[in-house]
Amino acid sequence: MKWFPDFGFQRRKRELQEEIDAHLQMAIADRMERGETPEAARQAAAREFGNIALVQDVTRQMWGRGWVEQLGRDVRYALRQLRKSPGFTFTATAMLAVAICANSTVFSWIDGTMLRPIPGARSTGDLVSLQRGERSFSPTPPFSYLDYRDLREQNHTFDGILAYHHDWITLTGGAQPERVYISNVSANYFDVLGIKPMLGRFFLAEEESHPAVPSVVLGYSLWKTRYAADPAIVGKSIEIARHPVTVIGVAQEGVVGAMPGIREDLWVTLDPLGTDVWRMTHRDADWLNVLGRLRPGVSSGQGAQDLDTLMRHIVAAYPDQHLGDNRVTLDPMWRSPFGANGYMATTLPILLAIAGLVLLLTCANVATLTLVRFVARRRELAIRQSLGANRMQLVRQMVLEGAILSTSAGALALMLTSWTSTTFARFFPANSNPLNLNGTMDDKVVIGIAVSSLLAGMLCSAFPAWRSSHAPAIEVLKAESASVSGGSRNRKLLSALVVAQIALSLPLLLCSGLFLRTLRNLAGANPGFEQDHILTAAVGLNIAGYSHDEEQVMRHRILDRVSALPGVKVVSLTDWIPMTLSHKGEDAYPEGYVPHPHESLQVYHSEVAPRYFESLHIPILEGREFTQNDDEKAPRVLIVDQTAARRYWPGQDPLGKKLRVWGRSFTVVGVVKNSTHIFVNESPEPMVYMSFFQQGNETIVQAETEGNPADLAPVVENTIHELDTRLPVFDVRPMRESTQMASSFAVIQSALAGIFALIGLVLAATGIYGVVAYRTQMRTHEIGIRMALGASRADVLKLVLLQGLWLAGIGLALGLAFALGLTRFIARLLYGIGANDPVTVVSVVMLLGAMSLVACYFPARRAMRRNPASAIREL
Amino acid sequence: MSEKDQYKNRIELLQGTLDMLILQTLQWGPQHGYGIVQALRVRSGDVLQVETGSLYPALHRLERQDWVQSEWKQSESKQRARYYRITAKGKKQLASDLGRWERIVEAIGAVMYVKPEESES
Repeated sequence: MKWFPDFGFQRRKRELQEEIDAHLQMAIADRMERGETPEAARQAAAREFGNIALVQDVTRQMWGRGWVEQLGRDVRYALRQLRKSPGFTFTATAMLAVAICANSTVFSWIDGTMLRPIPGARSTGDLVSLQRGERSFSPTPPFSYLDYRDLREQNHTFDGILAYHHDWITLTGGAQPERVYISNVSANYFDVLGIKPMLGRFFLAEEESHPAVPSVVLGYSLWKTRYAADPAIVGKSIEIARHPVTVIGVAQEGVVGAMPGIREDLWVTLDPLGTDVWRMTHRDADWLNVLGRLRPGVSSGQGAQDLDTLMRHIVAAYPDQHLGDNRVTLDPMWRSPFGANGYMATTLPILLAIAGLVLLLTCANVATLTLVRFVARRRELAIRQSLGANRMQLVRQMVLEGAILSTSAGALALMLTSWTSTTFARFFPANSNPLNLNGTMDDKVVIGIAVSSLLAGMLCSAFPAWRSSHAPAIEVLKAESASVSGGSRNRKLLSALVVAQIALSLPLLLCSGLFLRTLRNLAGANPGFEQDHILTAAVGLNIAGYSHDEEQVMRHRILDRVSALPGVKVVSLTDWIPMTLSHKGEDAYPEGYVPHPHESLQVYHSEVAPRYFESLHIPILEGREFTQNDDEKAPRVLIVDQTAARRYWPGQDPLGKKLRVWGRSFTVVGVVKNSTHIFVNESPEPMVYMSFFQQGNETIVQAETEGNPADLAPVVENTIHELDTRLPVFDVRPMRESTQMASSFAVIQSALAGIFALIGLVLAATGIYGVVAYRTQMRTHEIGIRMALGASRADVLKLVLLQGLWLAGIGLALGLAFALGLTRFIARLLYGIGANDPVTVVSVVMLLGAMSLVACYFPARRAMRRNPASAIREL
Repeated sequence: MSEKDQYKNRIELLQGTLDMLILQTLQWGPQHGYGIVQALRVRSGDVLQVETGSLYPALHRLERQDWVQSEWKQSESKQRARYYRITAKGKKQLASDLGRWERIVEAIGAVMYVKPEESES
C-alpha cells in the first residue's frame, strides 16, 4: 500500500540496506582471515555494528525527508490499529460526528442569517442599521423622509445612507392578481448596498420622489416566474395595483433586499405615484428604515456620534415633531433589530454555546474510551518503547489515531450538515411574513467543521496518549500484574474524565429542562384574547386599485356576507393580527401629559372594526366598543388598553381625554383589558385601537366560528371571491396557527436543547458505566481475594457502587456550580420560570444521579456474582 | 533516554570532529564505510572506535551537503560496496575544520598548561 509519492525513496532505502550488508560482509571476512570461525565472526561483526534498524533509521533522517516516510508509516500503523477494534472506531467516529454536526448545524444557521444579513451586498461588515429613540426588541421604522435626507446630506462619516420602507402590494394585469413584497427605496439604495443590476439600470437620484414615469426594479425570482425570464423586459410596462409602471431593471439572482431574513420581490422609489405627499413632507411621519455604509476607517462609535449631533440640530429646529427620545444608535447588520437578525442574535449564539458543550462532553467520552484502549495496548507500547521508540514518537502515533478518527467524523458531519443546515426554515409556521431564513453550507461552515474536528481529535487523544506513553516499559513487560494495570495515574485521568462528563452534561440537562418548561408555560399562558375559534383572512382591497369609497363599500359587503355564513358567530375587521412578530407603532402625544426626558412616546396601534373585542373576548373595562357610526364623517375616536391609560392618565378617568397622532386629535371612548401584542413574555407597551372605518388600511377579516375554524376557510375565501373575482384573498388560516409564530424561537431553543441534553445524558451514562465496569474488571483479582477473606456480596456491591457514586457526586457538584453560573445567560429567553428554578435543578440532578446509579449498578452486580475462586485466578 | 537519543547526542558532540576525521580519511583516497572505520582505528592506534550509528548518518549528511560523493564499486575482495570520495567543496570544508580544530587545541592547551608562576601571581 502506498500512501505518499516515492521520489526514489525505496531505492535509497534498498541501497542503505546493501551498504550495511557490505559493511558486515567485510567485517566478517576480516575476522575469518584472522582465524575466527564463520559463526563467531558473524556474531562478533553484528555485535560490533550495533542495532541495524536503528542505524538505518537515524541515517534515513539525514536524508531530510524522513518525516514524510514516518508519517506514511504512522498513518498505516494507525489505520491497522483502528481496523483491529472496529467497535471502538465505529462508536467514537459516530459520537464525534454527531457532536460536530450539532455545532456545524447551528453554525450554518448563523452563517445563513447573521453572517449573510443582506445577500448580494458588498462587505456587509461596513453597513450599520440606524435606530432613533428608545431601543426596543421589535422596533417600527424610526425615521421620517426629511430627517433622513438631512442625515444623508450633512453627515461626515458615511459613504452613503439609504432608506427603505418594507410593504406589500398586488401585481395586477395578469390572469390572477398576485401579492408581492416590495420596498419603497431611496434612489441610492442599490449603490449603498453595492449591488449591480443584471438587466437595465437601477434608480436615478431625480427619481427618488414622484418621478415623471413611475419605474420599478424586478427581483430575479419574480422576473423568472411571473415574466418568464423575458430578456427584453426592460422598458416594458407592467401593472402594479392597476397602475402602469415601467420596468427599468432586474436585480441579480439572490438579491432579496436590505431587511435581514425578509424577502422583497420588487423595488419602487419612495413615492412612485405621487400619492404619498403627506409622508414625504412631514417630519413626524416615521416610516423609513435607514442603513448606512461607514467610510473606511470610521468606527461605528464615531458614526453614531456624528449622526447624533446632526439629530440634535434637527430636533432643535423642529421640536414639535420630535417629542420624546431622539438619540441615534447604530447596530451592525448581524444584530440589526429590523428584520430577523434581532431574534437570531438572541437565540443562535446561545445554541452554539450549548452545542460546544456537547462537543466537549463527547471529547471527554471518546478520551475515556481511548485511554482504556491504550491501557489495553500497554504491552505493545512497552515493546515499541524498548525497541527504541521515544516518547514523542509514541504520542505522535497515538494522537494520529485520534486525528484519523476525528477527520472521518468531520467528513461524516459535513455530509450530515449539508442536510441539517436546510432544516432551519421548518421551524417557522406558515405566516404572512416573507421569511427568507435558512442555513447555508459555505466555506465558512466547512472550515468550522475542519477546525472543530481537528480540535476534537487533539482533545480526545492527546491526554490519553501522553499518559499512556509514560508507563515504565520494563515493569509492564516484566509482569502482567494488577499493580501496573493502567497505573494510578491512568486511574486518576479516567476518574477526571468521568467527572468532566457528568459536570458537562448537567448544564445541558438544566438548560433543556428550563427551555422545555418555558415552552410549556408559553403554550399554557393566557394571551388575553381568544385564539382557538378564530379564522383570519387577508383581503387585498387597498392594493387592488379600488377608489377609497369603493373600498369602504366592499368592506361593508364583506362583513355582511361573511356574517351570514352558517357556523360563523361574530365577524369583524382589523389590520393587524397579534403575536405574529409584527406590530405597528406611531408617536402619540397625549394632551396634558408631560413626558420624562428621553421618554419614548411611541404607542402600538391597530385599526379595528365594531365587534372586534367581542370576537376576541377582550373585556371592555370602561366606555364602549367602536360602532358602525365611528366612520370618516364622525369625530376621530380611540380605545386604549390599561397600559396606555395608566401611563398617560394615572389616577384619572381616561374617557374623553385626547391624544394627538399624525397631527390629528383623537378622543378616548373606551378602555380595554391588556392582551398580548408580540410575545407572551413581552413587557407591556401602550396600545391604542383606532376605528377601522376611520383609519383602516389593510383589511383582514376576523371571524369567530362555532367549530374548527379551518373547516370554514374555503367557504370564507369563496364568499369574498364571489364579491369580486379579481380580489386577492390570502393568508386564510386559524388564528392559533398565526400566533404560533410568537413561540417559534422557544420551539427552536427547546427542540435543540432537548436533543443536545439527550445526547449529553446518553454520553454521561455510558461514560460512567464504561469506567466503572472497566475498573471493576481490573479489580477482579482483588475482589476475589476480598471475598475469599470473608467479604459478603453486599460488601462487594457497596465497594463498586461507592466508587462510581463518589465520581458521580463530584461530577454533580461541579456540574451544578457550572450550570448555575451558566443559566443566567439564558435567563431572558425563559418565561414563567427562574434561571435557577429549584424544581428543575433538583429534578435534573436526581435524573443524572439516578442514571449514574443504574450505570454503576450493572458492573457492581456482575462483580458481586463472581465466583471468588475463579476471580482470584484472574489477573 | 532511549538508545537512539544517545546516538543523537554523540553525533552532536562529535559532529565537527567526526566530519573532519571522515573528510581527512577520504583525502587519502575513496573509501567505503567499513574502510573508514578501520582506517580511523589503525591511524589512531586503536583509540578511536567510530560507532556505525554515528558514521553512516554522518556520511549521508556529508553527501547531502555535497562535501562527499558516492558510487558503487567492487572492492579488492570482490565485494560490491559504496565508496565515498571527497569533493572540492569538501576539501575546502576540511581546511576550515582543521584550522578551527587547531585553534581549539591551542586555546585549550593555553588553558591547561599554564606555567605555575604565572598562575600564582
